[in-house]
This record gives sequence, structure tokens and C-alpha cells, in this order.
Amino acid sequence: MECTAVAVCEILKYLIIHWKCETGTSKGALLEGQLVISMEALNSKHQANTLHCVTTIASAGSIYGGLVLKKFLKEIQSILPGFSAKLNWTSEEASCSQDISGVTPFQMIFEVDEKPRTLMTDSLVIKNFLHKIVMVHPKIKFNFTVKVNGVLSMEVFGTKNEPTLNLSNGIALVINCQHYVRRPRFGTAELLCSRIRPVLGPPVVLCIPGDMAGPGLSGELTLTPAAALCPCPKVFSNQLNRISSVSIFLYGPSGLPLILPSQEPPTTTVFKDTSYFIDWKKYHLCMVPNLDLSLDRDLVLPDVSYQVESSEGDQSQNMDFQGQTLLLFLFVDFHSGFPVQQTELWRVHTLLTTHLSAILTESHSVVQDSVQVAVDQALEQHHQATKDHQKLQVSLSVAVNSIMSIVTGSTSSSFRNICLRALQAADTQEFGTKLHKSFHEITRHRLLPYCSCEMKQQLLPEKNAEQSTEDAHENSSLELLAGTSEQVENKRLKRGCLRQGMEETRAFHSARTRSPSEAAACRTKPTGASPTPGGSRGSPGDSLEDSLWQQEVSNLSEWLSPGPEP
Amino acid sequence: MAFAPMGPEASFFAVVDRHKASLLATLSRGGGEPAGGGTRLASSSEVLASIESVIQDIITSVARNEAPAFAIDNRSSWENIKFEDSVGLQMVSHCTTRKIKSDSPKSVKNFALILKILSMIYKLVQSNTYATKRDIYYTDSQLFGNQTVVDNIINDISCMLKVPRMSLHILSTSKGLIAGNLRYMEEDGTRVHCTCGSTAVAVPSNIQGIQNLITDAKFLLIVEKDATFQRLLDDNFCNRMSPCIMVTGKGVPDLNTRLLVKKLWDTFHIPVFALVDADPHGIEIMCIYKYGSKAMSFEAHNLTVPAIRWLGLLPSDIKRLNIPRDTLIPLTKRDQMKLDSVLKRPYITCQPFWRKEMEIMADSKVKAEIQALTFLSSDYLSRVYLPNKLKFGGWI
Repeated sequence: MECTAVAVCEILKYLIIHWKCETGTSKGALLEGQLVISMEALNSKHQANTLHCVTTIASAGSIYGGLVLKKFLKEIQSILPGFSAKLNWTSEEASCSQDISGVTPFQMIFEVDEKPRTLMTDSLVIKNFLHKIVMVHPKIKFNFTVKVNGVLSMEVFGTKNEPTLNLSNGIALVINCQHYVRRPRFGTAELLCSRIRPVLGPPVVLCIPGDMAGPGLSGELTLTPAAALCPCPKVFSNQLNRISSVSIFLYGPSGLPLILPSQEPPTTTVFKDTSYFIDWKKYHLCMVPNLDLSLDRDLVLPDVSYQVESSEGDQSQNMDFQGQTLLLFLFVDFHSGFPVQQTELWRVHTLLTTHLSAILTESHSVVQDSVQVAVDQALEQHHQATKDHQKLQVSLSVAVNSIMSIVTGSTSSSFRNICLRALQAADTQEFGTKLHKSFHEITRHRLLPYCSCEMKQQLLPEKNAEQSTEDAHENSSLELLAGTSEQVENKRLKRGCLRQGMEETRAFHSARTRSPSEAAACRTKPTGASPTPGGSRGSPGDSLEDSLWQQEVSNLSEWLSPGPEP
Repeated sequence: MAFAPMGPEASFFAVVDRHKASLLATLSRGGGEPAGGGTRLASSSEVLASIESVIQDIITSVARNEAPAFAIDNRSSWENIKFEDSVGLQMVSHCTTRKIKSDSPKSVKNFALILKILSMIYKLVQSNTYATKRDIYYTDSQLFGNQTVVDNIINDISCMLKVPRMSLHILSTSKGLIAGNLRYMEEDGTRVHCTCGSTAVAVPSNIQGIQNLITDAKFLLIVEKDATFQRLLDDNFCNRMSPCIMVTGKGVPDLNTRLLVKKLWDTFHIPVFALVDADPHGIEIMCIYKYGSKAMSFEAHNLTVPAIRWLGLLPSDIKRLNIPRDTLIPLTKRDQMKLDSVLKRPYITCQPFWRKEMEIMADSKVKAEIQALTFLSSDYLSRVYLPNKLKFGGWI
């Protein structure tokens, strides 16, 4: 774990906890504001192949009112014992000279010397951390910039206009599918719903082993699982309906990640046994841990990932589509009879960061039951669809064979001729093939609606596509509301940019992993030009822009790689 | 007739004979005979052509890129049923239909099964062979799931093609029994004598195929339950009341039993009486013989015998005979609902005496089985109750 990344992530965690406690968030209210994280690196004058990096965490709003420097330094240093960089604090001075708008700016600066590769990893870790936070804090926006020897890269993380599922503890899970899985390329995208449909398991109280709780922790830890299949096919398809992996996301109190990307603390030890919480045999699946989790991706990075152990039969299937991913979110929260204090929350986070595995093991049975409920419900539709599909296949086969039996057995030449002519078949063999194919084609798209949230949209004519997207969105929100007690803010997607939450100017990650259309759809110009309109997939303009962008990324990577300095 | 045992004196049947004369008079006036229509026996080539036409429609739909569907008359809706005194319950000419679609998860299996059975019927008709409903079920019991599925589909096909089941070359194993003064020859040449004794003859599977029916019977007695039927056989009722015929459908009658009763009526025009429990279920079974069922209304002309009279056990008999109260059974909620439902049937309006009996039952809130009569005397039914009813015309 890189030093700067850990420091930034822990400081951000501390600040968000403070922010939440300080604003006295009414239950269910979402945090709203903007934070800026910038890293400016220049070649070190003292050491070769080293960058002197100045990291600044700033807020444009009054997020940090009441933050006490001494207390902050003491508590942050308790979690960052090896962090030797000097922290500069500018809020107190700034508070004396408030700007005209009355907003107190805040800045925290620290400086370190790092190797170029370390800086690159740092920035990826921070990027993934920020991405994970905005998945449950849709109203928080992070501006993340990295300037290396004058070359600026900027990425904006926010999910403000995306559909969410409100959870009762002041967080809302973003249900936009594209954060979790890559859209398939070959013509299947239109068969997929753009949202996930999380199913909540019953909250369970976690037992804290006596020797871990320590004095003064008066409250209880609860865990609420949520499971969803992603992507959610609109209609049944054999390929789309294959579960290929499981992604587990752990969130602690205040919706903050419990572990940092690329970190492998004892927190996730319990998840090394893939069937510790979920009985995969029940679903005829065999899971193995997926250790290949690259930081360099545009999707939100899971804390734990499993993949289905592939058999030879699976390998013969279409490898272009990865199948479905079961998303499992585990939200751990802390409750006490009184408003939770910042210090207490910070301690809980520290406790969970180090002892989550032990705590989950202590409550193994209840956690397993709750997780299983959520997973069962999430997979119920999947299983029903599989069953229905099998029924359909058998039925169509029986129907076609029966028709064939009558046609081939008929002694009426006129009847046979009429049948063959109708399907433009030369003989009964061709007739059989065409009949089977036609039946399959006719029923393929009409049968087995799998995902209800876009059915209405499907039925609407093309010209109303924009409106129907909005309608479907509202319906989705309402549908999700029905399952929660909290109010979901009525959010609307802006046309054509489902991923506008990740506005990028220059990105750190490679574009190789994304399709050109996808890359174009989620990117906006640094000047703030209007987002790429939906439906303009793969236009010549996009390709040009994409290649220029890739070139820039390539240049930056090259520059950051070890070797002679430019 | 040589095989006829000695029964009561001829004068014993005077009232029955008068009843027969009255029925014949009604028939001769043209008021009692069905006006025709409904399903009719179809030739093999007609059945094959009908099936081919159905297949042609499906292929045309597929060729148009449309999901094919069957439109089946909605047999379960009272809206599609009309009542005609001379026929019973029959389907209206333009009834509502239900669609069995090939592109609906709910109905795709049914769609396939209809085609499967159609193809089997096609082969049976082509080869002039017959199969029972049970045979069809066992060709792929896993696919069909249960016998009821097959039975319902066969009825749907019969209704869709407008041909009786027999024309589809599908038979059913009869559960009914027959006994008494009757001889006939089955389709394969087997001669059957339903001689009176302690055993009965199974109702044949191919009713249309039976020929040379001979009887001197004065009446036909339909007995609801097998137990009562066996008791009457044991009590030598057929000989004592000779010449007569007894039939039981062992509860709700199957198609063959109903076809046989209809055939005997059509052939001999002898009075037909029903002996059922004095409860809503017994009354409903009697109504099925007399007026037909909703589900088979499309074939009412071949199945119903509106001349059937209710001989017993009448709810009014309970009081008249002073049947002990403790042998009676209170009506359950379900009985009351069934009774209310039967009272609302269209045919009850032309049966004021039936209505009255049912109202007596509703008021008394009790029902009685035929066996209740054994509390008066073990052979009261065969020695006293039925002879008196027949002698003095105790039917309604």
C-alpha cells in the first residue's frame, strides 16, 4: 500500500465522518458537497527518478466547520503511524477571511517524495476509493487532479443524476449497471437493462468479541446485505443468464469503504472461503477466489471477487460475453441509543478495518442466513427464467415435432404443398429446419420478460426514446422505493450519458479495456461541453477523439514508467 | 324374453307405463327430441382435414412471423352456455374463446401438448386404430404431467374441431356398470348379456359401436353410487322389479356412462329414473345425466337425457318416512354453497318440484344418504322404498 494513497483515503474517511457528525445528518439525509483532491508532482531536485509530490485536499464548502486541528492530527496519526509528511492546515486562517459567499474554504496539504510508478499506483488507489464512495454517496462530488511535471489529468467522481436505491442510514446505492460491469459488445447490449435491482436481506446484529470491543463502545453493529444480478437481461438468453462471477463490496458506517483498494488486510480473510457465507451448491455453482483484480479499470473495484470455476463445456460458449455478475453489498452500520459521536464512529471504523473477519465469524450463522436470503431472492428470478426457458425449449420442440409428424405423415399432397410453400421449403427436411428456426425467432423476444423496469420502454416507439428513458427511470425509483422506507430523490438521467458521474478530461486508466462507443459515451470535454448524445455510438468523431485520448494516456504512462527522464 | 326373470305383475308398472306413454307423446309432438346440431360423428377424412386445417393456420402464422395461437371455446364460462329444455345445457353458437398462445410462458406448454395430441389423433384416425385417454397419457407421462391434463386437452380438441371424442378415435376406460334386462353386441362382435345376478357388466368403451340392443325393460334406474348399486344387486332388485335396467356411473359419470344412458333412451324411450343421495352433490350428479355439464356442453346433444326423473332420495322423503334425525348429516358450508349454485342454474326454473325439494333441504339444513333408509330396515330400499315409488309414481 502506497503512502500517499493511504493518507489521502484515511484523511477523507476522517473528514467525511466528521462532516456527517458535524452536520448532524438527519436520519436518511444524504451528504452533499464537493471535495477536491489534487496531487502536483515535479521532478525532485535532490533525488533522481523521484517526484516531489504535493497533495492537497480541499473543500469549497463549509464541510469542515468545527474540525479541531490537534484532535485531527492525533487521531489521523494513530491510524497513520508511519506517515511522516508534514500536514498543513489552512482552514483556521481562511475562516478569518471568509470569501464574499460566506463559504469557508478548507485546505490540507502534505508533501512526500515518491517514485513515478508509486505515484501512478497511488492515483489509481485514490481513484478507486473515490469511485467506491460515490457509489453510496451520490451527492458527494470529488474532483481529482494529478499534475505531473505540468501535465494535468483530471477526473470527476459523482453520481448525482443517477438512479439510486435509498438505504435507511443516509446512504443511497447507485443502481446504474455500468459502474459494476462492462457492457457486452456484440449486439447483446440492447437486451440488457441499464440498472441493477438490489434485494435487501434482513439486517442482523453482529456480535463483537469481548476482547475487541474495548471500553466506551456503547452500541451495536448491524449488517445489511444487498444482492443483485448484473447485468439484468430484459429477456431471457442462455448466454446472458450464466452467472460467471461474484463481486463483494464492503461498506462500513457512514457508507465508507472498510478497506482500501489493493490492500489486503485481515478484513477480507473470512471471504477467502468462497462458501463461508453462501451455499453455492444450492445454485449448482462452484466458486473460486478471483485474485486478478486490476486497479486500472473504470469499474468500481470490489473488495472481494469470486469467479465461477469454468468447466470445459463453459469454455466452448461465447467468450465475448462474460455472463452475469452477482453483486453482494455488505453494509455494516453502528447504532446506539444516542447520536453517534465522531470519535466513536472513527473507533468503529478502526475496529472494523482490523477485526471485520473475526466479527463476521463470530456472527457466522446470522450473517449467512441474511446473506442467503438476499442472494436467494436475487437469484430467484434468474432461476425462474432458466426454468421457464427450459420449459419453452421443450414445448417448442414438442410443437415442432408434432407439426412435422402431421405434415410428413399426411397423404394429402395439397396439404403438404401448402405447408412447404408457406415456409418456402423445398422438402420436408428444410421445412422442419425452417419451422424450428421460425418458431424460435418468433418467440425469442416475446417470451419471458426478465426485467420489469424497462418493459414499458421496450413497448414505446423509437421516437419517444428519450421520454421513455425518463419514465422508466421514475418507475424504477418508485419500484425501489416500495422496498425501502426512505425517500428517494427523484433523479433523472440526462440524455445519453448514463455515466456522466465519471466526467473525465484526461484519465489515468487505460482505454484499452473499453469499447470505443462506451468510452465516448462516458467522457466529456474538459471545457464542459455538452455530453455526447445517446445513440451516437461509434461515430467517426468519437473514434478520433478516442484515439487522441488514448495517445495522451499512453504518453503519460510512458512518462511515468521507470527509465531515463524526458 | 327367454332370459327375463319373473317380476311383479304387469299392473305393478301401470304408472310407469303411463309415464312412458306420456314421454312418447311428448316426443311425437316434437317437444322432447333434440333439434340436432352440436357435435356429430365425423368421418375419418373429415377429422384428418380438420387437423390439417389447424396445422395450416399455424404454419401460415409462422410464415407471417406471427406467434401462432389456438382459439378454444371457453367451456368453463356460464356466459357461453344456454339452456334448452329438450337438450339441457349447450354451448351458444358464438361463444367467447380463450387463446392458447405459443409466445406466452403460461400457455406455451399447453399449446405444444395440443399439437402433440393432435398429431397422435391424426395417426390414430389414419390407421383406423383407437387409443384410450390413458394410453395417450402413458406415451409421455412426464411431458403430460397428469391424466387430467390429457383429458382436458382431448375435450378442448373435440370442442375445437367440433367432432365428438369417438371420432377422434380416443376411448376412455369406463368406470360405469350396467345390469338388468339388456343384451347387445359390441363393435368387435362380442355378445353381452347383462343378466341379473350379483355381478354387473362394465359399460363398454365404444358406445357408438354397440349394436343390436335388446331389452324388455320397463324403466332404467340410474344409481348414483356404486355401494347402493351393489346393494340393489345383492337384494336381487333387478329380478324383483324385472324387467328393468340399472346403471351406475360410480359418482360423477364418465362420458361412456352418459353416452350409454343416452343411447338406451334414444333406442328404447323407456322412463329413466335417478336414485341419488339427498344432498347437493347427488342432485348435481343427477343434473349432469339430465342436463349435461358446463365443460361438455359442446357435446350436449349426444349426452343429455332431459327425460330423467328424480326418483329419490327426495329431501321431502326424509320427513315423510320419519327417518331418524341422528342418521341425517348437517349441511356444511360447502354443501350450502353448492346448493345455492345449483338453485341458480338455468334449468332449475323449469323444475319447480326440484326447486321445492332443494328448498326443503336448505330449510332443514340437513342432508341424507340413501343408506339412511337402512335405519328403517336393512332392505327397505329395495323391498319397500323403490317398489312403492315405482308403483305409485313417486318421481318428480
